[in-house]
Amino acid sequence: MEVIRLEGVHKTYSDNGVPVHALRGIDLRIEKGAFVVIAGPSGSGKTTLLNVMGALDAPTQGRVFLESEDISLKSKDAIAAIRLEKLGFVFQAYNLIPVLTAMENVEFTMMLMGIDQQKRRERAMEVLGELDIEELANKRPNEMSGGQQQRVAVARAIVTNPSIILADEPTANLDSETGANLLDLMQRMNREHGLTFIFSSHDQQVIERARRLILLRDGMIEKDEILEP
Amino acid sequence: MLLTIAWRNIWRNRRRSLIIMTSIVVGVAFAMLTDGLSIGMVQQMLDNQIGSHISHIQIHAKGFNDNQVIQNAIPDRQLVERALGETKGVQTWSRRVITFGLLSSALNSSGGLIVGVEPERESAVTSIAASVVEGSYLSGKPNEVVIGRRMAEKLGIGLGDKVVGMASALGGDVGSDLFRVVGMYQTVSSEFDKKHMFTSLSGMQDMLEMEQRVLEYAVIVDNIEDVDRIAKELRTTLGDGYEVLSYRDLMPMLVYMVDMYGQMMLVLYVVIGLAMIFGIINTMLMSVFERIQEFGVLMAIGMKNSAVFRMVMAEALLLSAMGTAAGMLAGVAGVLALGAVGIDLSLFAEGLNSFGVGAVIYPQLTASSILSVVVIIPLTALLGALYPALKATRLQPVTAIRYV
Repeated sequence: MEVIRLEGVHKTYSDNGVPVHALRGIDLRIEKGAFVVIAGPSGSGKTTLLNVMGALDAPTQGRVFLESEDISLKSKDAIAAIRLEKLGFVFQAYNLIPVLTAMENVEFTMMLMGIDQQKRRERAMEVLGELDIEELANKRPNEMSGGQQQRVAVARAIVTNPSIILADEPTANLDSETGANLLDLMQRMNREHGLTFIFSSHDQQVIERARRLILLRDGMIEKDEILEP
Repeated sequence: MLLTIAWRNIWRNRRRSLIIMTSIVVGVAFAMLTDGLSIGMVQQMLDNQIGSHISHIQIHAKGFNDNQVIQNAIPDRQLVERALGETKGVQTWSRRVITFGLLSSALNSSGGLIVGVEPERESAVTSIAASVVEGSYLSGKPNEVVIGRRMAEKLGIGLGDKVVGMASALGGDVGSDLFRVVGMYQTVSSEFDKKHMFTSLSGMQDMLEMEQRVLEYAVIVDNIEDVDRIAKELRTTLGDGYEVLSYRDLMPMLVYMVDMYGQMMLVLYVVIGLAMIFGIINTMLMSVFERIQEFGVLMAIGMKNSAVFRMVMAEALLLSAMGTAAGMLAGVAGVLALGAVGIDLSLFAEGLNSFGVGAVIYPQLTASSILSVVVIIPLTALLGALYPALKATRLQPVTAIRYV
């Protein structure tokens, strides 16, 4: 079942008046439960593509369908609601809210969805338990290691069962062992819960785990291949 | 949870938050002290006027206030006294004869108001008996006179000296009598002391050939808040032949001053609030700029602009509410403490006395002062937070996340 589809997506930025073509006519379809890695050299458009798919950036041209719904021309609030309910994000720099504990960080998106405190607390503890980080529940980000913070970020991303989890260079700030553990965890979530993961990365250990690899070059898809698990 | 985030964000930069809160505390406490002092001063002016002569309500024959001559005597004393006895809330009252006259000693003469009173009744209505600084108050015997110290100085007389009082009698002749000074008083109003002398009611009635006639009833009520209601009831009972005036009618300028001070203080609170706005704008802008990346993340994970706006506003509100609460505590404590002991302004005593204010001012705490602080300061803080909050909502998550 298709979860996201891009049709003729272009993205052009202006860099001091000079147009920069970050994406040039991307056509892409990703199925539910996929574990996709978008790779490519720096400046190839990986992050831009991820941002467009995550409704963080609007395409200059073309359309983006999330679960068959065209999100290209939605209002700011509607886009925010889509990001809240259908998308999960894992950022390179973890980006947890520093004044909140791990538990509160995980609860936060559920709070925005209007879920009552008891339910969201139960759900947050459940997810933290699933990721083996219950002991971090009452710690703030500055009391955790990078790997721990990224696990909490994954917990925050998956807690609402989004349609897609978009991870932008999630292992870039981690040592290889911690990165591997994190990827194990994400793979397990993908396998056990059928969650769709889309990564942008040039980390070889991320690429090696991809079930589908999309190679970008100069804003265009150079290669799109299904890999054997 | 938004409030929790707002609260914790305030303490992320403890020093900055404490500085802005301290400025709010100082501003609020200063405004409350200034307010308390001003209200205390004008209230003292009002109380002094009421206590020294005006009383809460005065009853005269119709037209007396415009034409203060002894021919305008109270038409029916029994009617007035029955009405006073039957009206709920009237505490006490006193009969008076008042006329403009001339007081002469061997050395000098001075014009002023000669007031004939019943000493016992008058003592319950005004504070003149308590203001006697030399000698004693009237005993009720004829030909005694109590004069202001300032008038005594002008006339060059002392206790036991004789003075001649002259005034126009009822029949049109000049009535005169010889009085002996039994006491000298001093109120906080030097102007009042220069112009008023008190003698017995019966003596005045004899001198002015008025028989038992009375010109004025001075009334004190149990609760000053009921003055208008009581005056209205007395007007209804007494009918057209009388004029019943409350202290508000008798001292419109002073009452206007009290109201005006209230409005001036409101302006002061607004000015302090406006001065505070720049501190709030600065603090909140710095707070927003420091957290651009965080706002980007919040927006990316689905926080709507309206929630971002509310979060920044909540921070400003909490910040100002804490400052206001602490400032109010300091202000209330200051006003209550100074209200108990008073602020000694003896250095300016002469100037203050000419305005009818004593040298010691007792600041007063009013509900409007507390209400002004509670409403105006947090409101202006919210106003100050508007720009930073709007700034935060205008961030684009995709660029904000990468902001360094």
